Amino acid sequence: MSRAVAIVGSGPSGCYLAQALLKAAPELRLDLVDRLPVPYGLVRYGVAPDHQGTKGVIRQFERLFERQGAGFVGNVAVGEDVGLDDLRAAYDAVVLAAGLSADRTLGIAGETLEGVHRAGRLTRALYEHPDAEPLPELGPRVIIMGNGNVAIDIVRLLAKTPDELAGSDLGPVPSAWLAGSGIEEIEIVGRSPAAAAKFDAVMVKELAKLEGVRIRVLGAGASDDPEGAKKIAALEAIDGHGAGPRRITFRFGLTPMELAGEGGRISEARFQDAQGRAIALPCSAFVTAIGFGAEGVLPRDALIGSAADREAGVLAPGLYATGWFRRGPQGTIPDNRADAQLLATRILADLEAEGTPAQKPGRNAFPAWARAVGYEGWKRIDAAEIAAAPENRCRVKIASRETMLALALQTEECPQ
Amino acid sequence: MNIMLLYGTETGNAEMLAEDIMAELDGDHDVECRNLSDFAPDEFDRSRLHMIVCSTYGDGELPASAQPFAEALKAAAPSLSGIHFAIFGLGDSEYEETFNFGSKGLAELLASHGAVQIGERITHDASGSDMAEDLAFPWAARMVALAEEKIGENA
Ligand SMILES: Cc1cc2nc3c(=O)[nH]c(=O)nc-3n(C[C@H](O)[C@H](O)[C@H](O)COP(=O)(O)OP(=O)(O)OC[C@H]3O[C@@H](n4cnc5c(N)ncnc54)[C@H](O)[C@@H]3O)c2cc1C
Ligand SMILES: Cc1cc2nc3c(=O)[nH]c(=O)nc-3n(C[C@H](O)[C@H](O)[C@H](O)COP(=O)(O)O)c2cc1C
Repeated sequence: MSRAVAIVGSGPSGCYLAQALLKAAPELRLDLVDRLPVPYGLVRYGVAPDHQGTKGVIRQFERLFERQGAGFVGNVAVGEDVGLDDLRAAYDAVVLAAGLSADRTLGIAGETLEGVHRAGRLTRALYEHPDAEPLPELGPRVIIMGNGNVAIDIVRLLAKTPDELAGSDLGPVPSAWLAGSGIEEIEIVGRSPAAAAKFDAVMVKELAKLEGVRIRVLGAGASDDPEGAKKIAALEAIDGHGAGPRRITFRFGLTPMELAGEGGRISEARFQDAQGRAIALPCSAFVTAIGFGAEGVLPRDALIGSAADREAGVLAPGLYATGWFRRGPQGTIPDNRADAQLLATRILADLEAEGTPAQKPGRNAFPAWARAVGYEGWKRIDAAEIAAAPENRCRVKIASRETMLALALQTEECPQ
Repeated sequence: MNIMLLYGTETGNAEMLAEDIMAELDGDHDVECRNLSDFAPDEFDRSRLHMIVCSTYGDGELPASAQPFAEALKAAAPSLSGIHFAIFGLGDSEYEETFNFGSKGLAELLASHGAVQIGERITHDASGSDMAEDLAFPWAARMVALAEEKIGENA
């Protein structure tokens, strides 16, 4: 008799967990449930379209479904289409790997002005997430607030020329939007000094490849800490790069105080520097890229708050958490892999310790899942996206949920 | 041929490729596959071919699972004379300046302790159009053939 495990979320943490579980226990009945009709979470909708190499981990995840027997249950939101308690009743173990997708906000005056945007929403629009809002009008002067890799991704994409996006999977609508954006100046502002910035030095170095920009770095300072020194060295190396039409300016140590505007639209961001001086920067758009939180369908913060062993990812008997959902919005794809491998060991030990309880029904408890998107359905979407790719693009994403579902469910009565 | 297949990985691609190479060679050869994180420098064996698959991470650095091994090797500084290895690298040409520095550095480290490299280091580019196994399977077959000459068929 085999045990049944449901993983909520098919992003890198869910997939790496499934990989580790099935490697050690190939007989498990394992399903990855995702609210989207497509798998892989932020590998598809977060990792930048011009970083296709990073998306190469998808080849590993495909094996889960093609060789290791995992099931994909797409277009099913846990907490909406199926209750968490019902899922727990049907499976021996349920793991929440649902990520964190709500943008954190600054909590200062003026954040509701027109022209104030959030990194998660903006990237979802750029990367054609089915639930995305339309792309906004940014105007000529954009401030990106935040010093993580996501902020650098946005700077790089906004600064790229159309030629520099060759080989990516950026869609025709976002590509046209970028080409016609009219952006003249991008300022990236960090609250901390450069030495404490969260971005990786190599992300900064990559900016030196941009052809259409000129870069300046203001107040990077110095650091005794080797990690900090590496970041400062990378910043110094790109300072003065290029003579292109778009200017990129790095600023550090500025605490945002207020966003101000006229007629409901932002025109100025006000900061305070380390010495307490007021600094005002004019802008036509202001994008916060300061991290993510729970978006509410699952009571994440309550579940994590009352976790039996948060570090180990044990929320309650038979209920676990991993990835960003457990740790918060920190860490890259490899961190999720390490996290998932530890949790797999724990889950298998817990299942073992339970002895042999009665067989749980797993997916058979949910006849409605016959209309969910299975892996075969996703592969039809995938094939259509690759086949329709224009020249200079490796794929063209289908942005609408209806079109995805029409393709995925066309010949399929039940998920494989 | 008796083969120790070792991998150094950060996001799992090298591990998957090593498992694929193992499946390809198994049957004809006696192959053991291990993560470099579970391999100690004193386990090198003169009668074996050591085939290494290693990625690159950060800014041209070794991937996480290869780092403890490299540290241990530097610390113990054993003589690896008479040890044979072949190496395949995973990298991404998006990182032009440090393309495949992980496998390059590891090969240099082993050579600096006296190990002998068999054949050329072959690299895969995650931004290129080749599948890693399409490069790695022919590479593995060539390396085994070369090693059979050098180490001896019955080793
Ligand atoms: C814009 C951006 C760019 C990034 N770029 C990189 C990069 O280049 N390299 C790198 O290493 N890391 C990058 N990261 C970090 C990386 O994406 C994360 O570490 C990783 O995706 C976290 O994995 P996860 O599986 O926990 O969450 P996610 O990838 O967010 O996956 C969560 C999944 O759960 C699903 N889900 C959510 N709620 C429900 C529900 N109620 N029911 C069912 N399913 C649900 C979602 O649809 C999603 O598929 C980036 C992050 C962002 C935001
Ligand atoms: C953050 C990051 C940094 C990387 N740095 C380099 C690099 O400096 N040089 C290189 O050739 N490849 C680099 N790569 C590419 C990886 O080596 C490549 O994706 C490889 O397939 C990963 O294999 P793995 O999953 O076994 O670690 C990097 C990838 C990432 C995500």
